Amino acid sequence: MDWRPGACSIAGVGATEFSKSSGRSVLALATEASVAAIADAGMAVADIDGIVRCEEDSVLHNDLSHCLGLPELNYWGSTASGGSAPCGMVAQAVAAVTAGLARSVLVFRALNGRSGPRYGRAKGARRPVGGNGSLEEFISPYGLVTPGQVWAMVAQRHMIEFDTTREHLGAIALACRERANANPAAEMFDRSMIMDDYLQARPISRPLGLFDFCQETDGACAVVVTSTERANDGPSPAAAIQSVAQASADDIQGAMFSPAVFRRDLTTQPSANVADTLYRRAGLGPADIDVAQFYDCFTITVLVQLEDYGFAPKGEGGPFAACGALGMDGSLPINTAGGNLSEGYIHGLNHIVEGVKQIRGTSTSQVEGAEVSLVTSGLPPATSAMILTGATR
Amino acid sequence: MHDDHDTGGFFAAALEGRLAICRCASCDTVLHLPRPYCSACGIDRTVWREVAPRGSIYTWTVVEHAASRAFPAPYTVALVELDDLPGVRLLAYFDGACDFEAGAAVRAVFDDVRDGVVVPQWELVPT
Repeated sequence: MDWRPGACSIAGVGATEFSKSSGRSVLALATEASVAAIADAGMAVADIDGIVRCEEDSVLHNDLSHCLGLPELNYWGSTASGGSAPCGMVAQAVAAVTAGLARSVLVFRALNGRSGPRYGRAKGARRPVGGNGSLEEFISPYGLVTPGQVWAMVAQRHMIEFDTTREHLGAIALACRERANANPAAEMFDRSMIMDDYLQARPISRPLGLFDFCQETDGACAVVVTSTERANDGPSPAAAIQSVAQASADDIQGAMFSPAVFRRDLTTQPSANVADTLYRRAGLGPADIDVAQFYDCFTITVLVQLEDYGFAPKGEGGPFAACGALGMDGSLPINTAGGNLSEGYIHGLNHIVEGVKQIRGTSTSQVEGAEVSLVTSGLPPATSAMILTGATR
Repeated sequence: MHDDHDTGGFFAAALEGRLAICRCASCDTVLHLPRPYCSACGIDRTVWREVAPRGSIYTWTVVEHAASRAFPAPYTVALVELDDLPGVRLLAYFDGACDFEAGAAVRAVFDDVRDGVVVPQWELVPT
């Protein structure tokens, strides 16, 4: 069967406060965002009969169903890995709705990402040797213990191949920060930044410094995916899912994250593969995109996507970013709520919420006349992405 | 670690001071990182073939902010491309901040971590 553009829509979105210390359980956060998304869709809890979660989420579908009091849960699923998941989670919800397995599916991500377990910290205080049959024994004995260190090696390689500079990466950090400065809900709302601040920040894992790294956040986001027909009954404009896709890399490596550093090509990511499928399904191309929410665990993550999604030729993502293209007056405004870098790190589900707001016309940095909204999820092991438009009635 | 089914051969070779990479026992396709099946010919028999313990620096990061007490900063992690097998890379740990030149020549050294456990590491070849 062929993909059906716009058959499903996002009918509602919800989010909690983004903070460094929520003082609440992850389940409480997941529930608050879910209740908000269901209300935003103009639905009752009883209208939800499906749940899709991220494999890394500590909240299980049973937890959320129990907490919300869902009278009938007929479909549940999960996908991975981490930040690669969000658009793929929506894909799974679309699959369930179009296959008739569920009417309306709740997609959520919740974490105490700062006050609870932190993704930027390695586990254990001992140098590990032996992976007990995993691939970790090729990685952890060598001190490569965080995603930021993996991405720093990608950045260094991009600099070697294409003369990419810190200033190029800084342009991405500044674009996200400027959008956060207009978004009262963003963690970095009241913290302005100039290029000197970026360049002089302490190095973390060179060539990446403090402001190349995203936030660590306590919070949750949720969206409701349903048929476009049903979504159009809601009080808010529906965001039609013209296209959604998942893709792995050409020479995918095993395990969850770090083995991706052993792929032959570090400067082209699975985003290049997902872009092909995504654009084909939508019948659209990069020139049609009005606004983009790029997954930005690190600045370099955005830079490679600018190339992989066809906005800049391979190797020219840096000069493209530095020429002002990513600002509100540029050809491709990005991360209009501030992104992972400056809004908060809800593992990329916040990018979907913002992608929907651009279609509704309700962003704090609204791109005038935005009709086609790109949202991407994380990499490097594999990735996912989607294109939203206004729903036809 | 050297008795892990799919990856142990790497460390078994290191115990003998040799660097070895996993290959298909039938068609010799390089299987790296190691895996128990060759998709090129559909064979589930693999062998560990010795490679020259020489390579070059492909990329690296200087870790200035420690993320683990096991690895105090600063230190440097590099990806080493094997001279014998272009595109096949291994990680390397270096004490301190090393500002490498891309393509710098390195050679393998064998680090006795503890009794019966040897991890291949790398050092710059003096120019």
